[in-house]
Amino acid sequence: MRFLRVLALSCSLLAAHKLRTLLSVLGVAVGVAAVLLMVSVGRGAEERLLARIRAMGTNLLVVNAAPARIVAGRARQSEIATTLFPADAQAIVDHCRWIVRSAPAVSRPYLTTRESRTWKTTVVGLPEEGLRIRNLAVRSGRAFDAEDDRVRRRVAILGPTVAGNLFGREDPVGQSFLVGRVPFEVVGVTIPRGVDANGTDQDDAVIIPLETAMRRLFNVTSIQTILLEAASLEALGAAEAEVRGLLRERRRGHREDFTVQNQALLLAAQREASRSMKRLIGSVAGVALLVGGVGILAVMLIGVRERTREIGLRRALGARRRDVLVQFLSEALLLAGGGGVLGVLAGAAAGAAVSALGLADTRLSWPAGAFGFGFALAVGLVFGIYPAARAARLEPVRALRAD
Amino acid sequence: MIEIENLVKTYETGQTRTEVLKGISFRVGKGEYAALMGASGTGKSTLLNILGGLDKPTSGRYLLDGEDMVNVNDDTLSRLRNRKIGFVFQQFHLLDRANVHRNVLLPFLYADGYPADARERAERAVAAVGLADRISYRPSQLSGGQQQRVAIARALVGDPALLLADEPTGNLDARNGAEVLAIFQRLNREGRTIVLVTHDAAVAEHAGRVLVMRDGRIVEDRKVTQPRDAEAELRAIPVTP
Repeated sequence: MRFLRVLALSCSLLAAHKLRTLLSVLGVAVGVAAVLLMVSVGRGAEERLLARIRAMGTNLLVVNAAPARIVAGRARQSEIATTLFPADAQAIVDHCRWIVRSAPAVSRPYLTTRESRTWKTTVVGLPEEGLRIRNLAVRSGRAFDAEDDRVRRRVAILGPTVAGNLFGREDPVGQSFLVGRVPFEVVGVTIPRGVDANGTDQDDAVIIPLETAMRRLFNVTSIQTILLEAASLEALGAAEAEVRGLLRERRRGHREDFTVQNQALLLAAQREASRSMKRLIGSVAGVALLVGGVGILAVMLIGVRERTREIGLRRALGARRRDVLVQFLSEALLLAGGGGVLGVLAGAAAGAAVSALGLADTRLSWPAGAFGFGFALAVGLVFGIYPAARAARLEPVRALRAD
Repeated sequence: MIEIENLVKTYETGQTRTEVLKGISFRVGKGEYAALMGASGTGKSTLLNILGGLDKPTSGRYLLDGEDMVNVNDDTLSRLRNRKIGFVFQQFHLLDRANVHRNVLLPFLYADGYPADARERAERAVAAVGLADRISYRPSQLSGGQQQRVAIARALVGDPALLLADEPTGNLDARNGAEVLAIFQRLNREGRTIVLVTHDAAVAEHAGRVLVMRDGRIVEDRKVTQPRDAEAELRAIPVTP
């Protein structure tokens, strides 16, 4: 109770020094707001990244038909193997418990033409199941189906980049174009997916049925890739082992001429990268908060010097050293806490503004807000202790006689 | 009320040892109004600090209202200051950013228990020094004499055993000084024990007893047979516009 009454008086004394109080509160507020904004931006970026990885497909495993070497941190296919077949894809989904979907895939670069426009892009052959594994959905028109695949129809779904380059603003659905020299009919345009983690434009592709691709366009019997969907994210590891085992068995006696890529590992790597970025940003913001703390230190020290006689008077009226210490400490905490609250509000507002202006995706996180507020209090405590202890150490007789 | 025996205070600065109080003994009874007089450098301030529990003697005995003021720790001494002593300073020492009421309430902030009727008691104390109509003013909006009266109200609000005044008229003009001295005399008539410290013989003559200090000792201790009447003096001073 006594503490509250002393604090109430402190409030009115701080309120009397409006400008100085405001400045020190602002110092902390800016720090807290910076912390919160940075964390919000970091989280926003991370969520967008996760969304992007999810867009590749859910619980995805990719089998490639050649040993891959890691070059500059990325898997590079250096040989061409013709030993992976659609039967392998079927065997995997038949025998591996952790795999729920499987789709063979082929792809090749092609020149596409429509009237006088040409565009070099990647043509991908997928069965209907492959569209589902890759989470490929159409924005307009329709996707192809199993029947299209079975009768090898020359139908194509365009990525938005290809659609834009060949058809401009026209609606491509129902129109025809050439892949190489083979005419195809556009049945749909996919939803934009942006660039993937490697910087490849995922919208720059023409997707056609697998059978059409293998028999009418590429004229091949082997496939390059098998897309696999595991039962869950957690099962990816087990699924990968299962798939490896099965493929090795089917290649008894031969060298391992395939690679299996695991989405979980990719995810973990990306997360790690974004986390270290977040740490860096967070520490920069933390420095801003420390600067705010130094502001509190200065204000409190000035306060102690200026209020020396007040301290002497309070001691004469019966305040113990502890009372003086607690008073000055709580004043520092008050400044820091006020700055914290203001900073959280400002940080949230700034985050909303950044999102609204389209500068960056932000995701406000209340734990980060609470952390910023707590950190502000800690800063207040750390930088308030020294001035408070100095105030408490003053001899009452001397303090009363100070100028 | 005050029992002081063989009080000694020495300061040591490096090699030199200065004896400021050289064995002081005196008593002040309950309801007495005593003036402690002496020029600066006689140890008067040191004695005042010890009387007020702001400082401790090197040796000797000091009982205030039966409480030992020497062999106690800092916290206990703080509590005793709060309960037993009301200070009035030459520089008033009011909190300028708080109003009169809050200034007078200040001692209760450090009391053992915040009394339920603290606000009313503070109002009564302010009324007793004639400033009821200024209770929500800031000290800077008051004259020096009014400020000192606020300080007196603050000193009295906790009903201390001893009112200790250090040159209370030192910063005031004749009229305001007389006003303050008149309040002291009235308080004394009501039974309040007062020790007033001053270098001014004319001020000291308002008390019922004068103790004169010189060179760390009390050299004179006499009753004032006919104390000066501050009320009468106040009436004699014309009100200056």
